[in-house]
Amino acid sequence: MAQVLDRPPVRPVVETPTAGRRTAARLTLPTLLTLTAIVTIVPFAAMVLVAFAPPSGQTFPGALNPANFTLENFRTVLSSSDIPRWTVNSLIYSLVSVACVLLFASMAGYAFAKKKFPGRDLMFWAFLATLMVPFQATLIPSYILVARLDWVDSFWGLIVPTLANSQAVFLMRQFILQLPDELFEAAEIDGAGEWRIFTTIVLPLIRPVLATLGIFVFLWHWNDFLWPLVIGQSGKMQTLTVGLATLQTQAVPINQIMAGATITVVPSLLVFGLLQRYLTDSIAMSGLKA
Amino acid sequence: MPGTGRAGPVSGQFRRRGTLRRPWIGLLFVAPMLVLFLVFRFLPAIGALLLSLTDYRLSGKWDFIALDNYTRLLSDSVFHEALLVTVTYTVIFVPLTVLLSLGTAVLLHQVVWNRGFFRGIFFLPYVTSIVLAAVIWKWIYDAQDGLLNAVLGLVNIGPIDFLSQSSTVLPSIAVTSAWKGFGYSMLILLAGLQAVPKSYLEAAMIDGAGTWQRFRYVTLPQLRPVLFFVLVIETIGAFQVFDAMYVMTGGGPVRSSYSLVYFLYDSGFKYFDFGYASAIGLVLFLIVLIVSLVQRRLVGRDD
Repeated sequence: MAQVLDRPPVRPVVETPTAGRRTAARLTLPTLLTLTAIVTIVPFAAMVLVAFAPPSGQTFPGALNPANFTLENFRTVLSSSDIPRWTVNSLIYSLVSVACVLLFASMAGYAFAKKKFPGRDLMFWAFLATLMVPFQATLIPSYILVARLDWVDSFWGLIVPTLANSQAVFLMRQFILQLPDELFEAAEIDGAGEWRIFTTIVLPLIRPVLATLGIFVFLWHWNDFLWPLVIGQSGKMQTLTVGLATLQTQAVPINQIMAGATITVVPSLLVFGLLQRYLTDSIAMSGLKA
Repeated sequence: MPGTGRAGPVSGQFRRRGTLRRPWIGLLFVAPMLVLFLVFRFLPAIGALLLSLTDYRLSGKWDFIALDNYTRLLSDSVFHEALLVTVTYTVIFVPLTVLLSLGTAVLLHQVVWNRGFFRGIFFLPYVTSIVLAAVIWKWIYDAQDGLLNAVLGLVNIGPIDFLSQSSTVLPSIAVTSAWKGFGYSMLILLAGLQAVPKSYLEAAMIDGAGTWQRFRYVTLPQLRPVLFFVLVIETIGAFQVFDAMYVMTGGGPVRSSYSLVYFLYDSGFKYFDFGYASAIGLVLFLIVLIVSLVQRRLVGRDD
């Protein structure tokens, strides 16, 4: 196919349909696009509308009159459930993980890219190979391990096992490989110590990839469900995703569930709004998967 | 350092650096991650294999029972059902999500108008959690006051209790997951579409190929590797389905949305049958491995 078609580009022969057909054709795709976008956004819009609707037991669409909007569902769900506690847990889980993964992965990535040591390549491939093992396949032994460490129902158990992140190490290594060696050599000649080279030269240079990876790690943890479900067994240690799931198994009115759901989505939306470009560009380039 | 003139992706392999004399520095930098991997990735991986050969119980006591867990799986009808549910779900979900992401990617590629805005909209569900998606869609599907039945009611259909019928429950969950996740594959496919050389399309145009023919015979073959990547990623993801079912149906009605991972979860954390659950995990691993290998073969053969 490729050989047959690989000819020097020539100006295409443009068909000349009637003006009407052309307009129709030009409008079809944008219309289709707009409709798809509306369908995509409707579930979110419905969630927000129901969350702000008066908690009178009225159903769709009667309760959706903007004049009746109220914060009452939010007030009720915040006071009657553990949402504040869950939010704090989710924030700790996500932010501590982001900080640790960024630090450890950039250190490892730097070593894999720019240092020589015995077993380096084997180690790197072994790290990568763990990508092939689904997390659920090792759920049971991971849980038993955490239980043996007496870490069940603690932040240690929640956070530490999730820090071994091969995607992060891989991304860091690929990025640092592209940095010119001369930079580090010059610093070494100037007598800078290894840790100083890392903090004053490597870290500032990889700032873009730190930002991208930081967003992804945040979303991985903020949205994570199975591991927090297994580890955070008491209500005290539940995260927002687990809390939301338990909330809707109880007899909580739908308005309050949607208010809770709206609260859980705010941080993701903030991250998304501020850093959408970083996210979308890095997926297109590296296939990073949240 | 003398002798290294060039920097680039390859130079790391052949560099002669001062650090060669001090190999422990590199090891020191890897150390934190290495410890994490050894303890929380490699150890559990070996542990899963060993556990699956035992009847490890909550008390920590265990006996070696060789392949008993696996022979038990072979004759366990719950396992058969869970496997069937997972495969059925995958067969529904993968084409759905690939078509959705390909469709939106093609639309975005064709229409320049507000591209960034629309891309953002399609990507939005992806940054939320599957739990959130499940909570919203559970309400949308609700038979009494769900959004979908309200809309269907306008044209005098229903109400349909989507999540309580075994015939509709898996497609309903698949739609939820596809809505949540298609933004990712869409971005990958969009990047793939933008990489198709314009000259090929122009040449095809000169040869008189219409829009559909250009898409079918030029764009699609060029997109093949990217499409395969998306197909494999989504297939592997589909085999691991759990969150949506846990939230939306609890595996019901009568286990008609009871997936492999759900079975694993219950075996482990409801019945504390850790050895058996580990064996299920190993089956899951094998499935994922086979899917990846098949993909590698298919793509490798063509390129």
